[in-house]
Amino acid sequence: MMQLGRWLAAQVGRAALAAWAIASLVFLLSRLDTAKATDLLLGEADNLGTAVLRTDIDATQRQARQAVEQRLGLAEPLFYVTRTKQAGAISWHWHGLHNQYHQWLRGLLHGHLGLSFRDGQPIGPRWRAALAYTLPLTGLATLGAIAGALLVGLVLAGGPQATLSGWRAGLHTLLTGLQGLPLFALALGLLFVFANPDMLNVLPAYTGSADAEELWDQRALRLVLPVLALVLAVLPELALLLAHALRHELSTGYATTARAKGLSNSKLLRKHALPNAILPLLTALAGLLPTLVAGAVVVETIFALPGTGRLLAEAVAMHDYPVVVAGVLFSALARLLALALADALYAWVDPRIRLVP
Amino acid sequence: MSLPVFRARTAGFWLGVGWLLLVLSGGLLAPWLPLAFLPAVPDLQHVAEAPDWAASPAHWLGTDPQGRDVLTELLYGARQVVSISLPAALLATLVGALAGGAAGFWGNKGLRLPWAGWLAGAAVGWWGFALPGRWPCSLALAGLAGLAWWHCRSRSAKLAGWPLPLDTMFQSALTLLGAVPRLVLVLVFAAGPALGTTQLVVLLVLVAWPEAASQVRAQMLRVRELPFVEAARAAGLPTSRVWYRHALPHACRPLLATAPLSLAGLIGLESTLAFLGVGRPPDIPSWGNLLGTLQQEPGAWWILASAGCALVLTLLALQQLARQLGQRA
Repeated sequence: MMQLGRWLAAQVGRAALAAWAIASLVFLLSRLDTAKATDLLLGEADNLGTAVLRTDIDATQRQARQAVEQRLGLAEPLFYVTRTKQAGAISWHWHGLHNQYHQWLRGLLHGHLGLSFRDGQPIGPRWRAALAYTLPLTGLATLGAIAGALLVGLVLAGGPQATLSGWRAGLHTLLTGLQGLPLFALALGLLFVFANPDMLNVLPAYTGSADAEELWDQRALRLVLPVLALVLAVLPELALLLAHALRHELSTGYATTARAKGLSNSKLLRKHALPNAILPLLTALAGLLPTLVAGAVVVETIFALPGTGRLLAEAVAMHDYPVVVAGVLFSALARLLALALADALYAWVDPRIRLVP
Repeated sequence: MSLPVFRARTAGFWLGVGWLLLVLSGGLLAPWLPLAFLPAVPDLQHVAEAPDWAASPAHWLGTDPQGRDVLTELLYGARQVVSISLPAALLATLVGALAGGAAGFWGNKGLRLPWAGWLAGAAVGWWGFALPGRWPCSLALAGLAGLAWWHCRSRSAKLAGWPLPLDTMFQSALTLLGAVPRLVLVLVFAAGPALGTTQLVVLLVLVAWPEAASQVRAQMLRVRELPFVEAARAAGLPTSRVWYRHALPHACRPLLATAPLSLAGLIGLESTLAFLGVGRPPDIPSWGNLLGTLQQEPGAWWILASAGCALVLTLLALQQLARQLGQRA
């Protein structure tokens, strides 16, 4: 138990370190060119005063730029040390704790994600509002994928013979085909079939922008297609994995013994083979949540859901780097959570791991 | 290896290969084909029109909401597959094979660099980064390196040195790149100004190489213990030659089956990027871009049918190829 705990801690610790490193890398890369960031905010002001004298524009622009830099905290040096190149001579400067990176880290520890480059507003509230859409989406998709994988896996492995035949073979082929499709093609297909005035117009998709007073059942109905798309995207891998593991378990000695004792096939499958076959599925589950978070980017864009994925996609299109960094942190956090959860489940399901002295 | 690969395959395999060849030739030959319309040039009299084969010149597959001919866009979209996804997949496989093969073969302790090498590297690094005290410190390090080299040479002793932790470096890189999902990673690095072809290929290679690398590493851990590698070592061949000529070809065996899947993944990733309109200028024709126009015209079945079919058929053909190559011929 002691060893397992230490191993788990090491695993999660390494993932946390990697998450910190990648977020820092993205943060530093995005801030290398501060002029671009301020340009974003000043972009509209550029085209206005054409009649004013050139020098006036330059002066006001410089002032506005400085004000923006001051407000977003871009006036400070980027990192603890910086390298400057002046007249061919390179020199290093030590800035101490008053730098953007340190402020950002401190803000993160206090729960502040920073200010958006686009409108200068704090990101935190906007991100929380978007989470209200993404959490139900990914949560439902996770549950749906697990339930679907268990169902389809048991059905696929339930055949009487060792090789797949008849409709089971067809289902297997369908799942393998589905596995290769990119999520956006899948979602577009669903959208075209189920939410199209020319085809089946059974589910709402494009209902314009979402308002807060929307009825919860409308909101739930709007979630059906996105959740379905996400589930269909991740289901094949999980189901095929489980089916493969189940068939392997059915060919082992203890399954033969159980059959010889007169156990029915379905009972053997559920009571004896499943607990052993579920272990590889748990490993796959660690990758499920990050995949869904990435999938939310695509699905929320297609189905016009104002969630975190769409926020990230829009921020990427608008070069709004602080929101992008928040997106990196969020997906890294999802992966960390999934990893810890999968490890804990692994220890819970498999007593052999717990018994390691 | 070349002959058995093409022996005793099913009809599905040949269909897949035929489709892939069609995409490849379409992508390569698109500028020389007798197309009635140019890519990215709108035909404003026919905007978002279903196929009308009676008109002349006919839009055989209709037009998209910007008035571009779908057939032309499809053919030039195949060009994107050939010029971005294919090189990226090949490069990612190559980089993955070399990195994973090296990490698996030498591990953490196998590759010992002599002291002189470390010191010389430190000297070059110090000078290159212009760290404080640029001249004296880098010169001192270089002097130490020369001293160590002379010491080793004069003693003619076994090369002492510090091992290069190849495997740890490799695993750290994988953990770092695996910390966020592939799509998010690509999106984040494409968040700047629009990328050129080379930059996009480099970005795709960066996110795709770990897949091949971890497979080659796992296989290499098995291969390096096999008797024939031991025999090659015992015969006195230099280690690098044992690695390159004897162990690596064997360890790369599983790549035959996974390289098509890696290409399929990259095609999916590239079209997702084009669909989201990230990273590339919006007027570059590609299948993802074409499918993205569906958001302005949700009822355009001809776009979904043609571009969707092209994408799905390509991915299914690659899957079929991977499955058939995976079975030992």
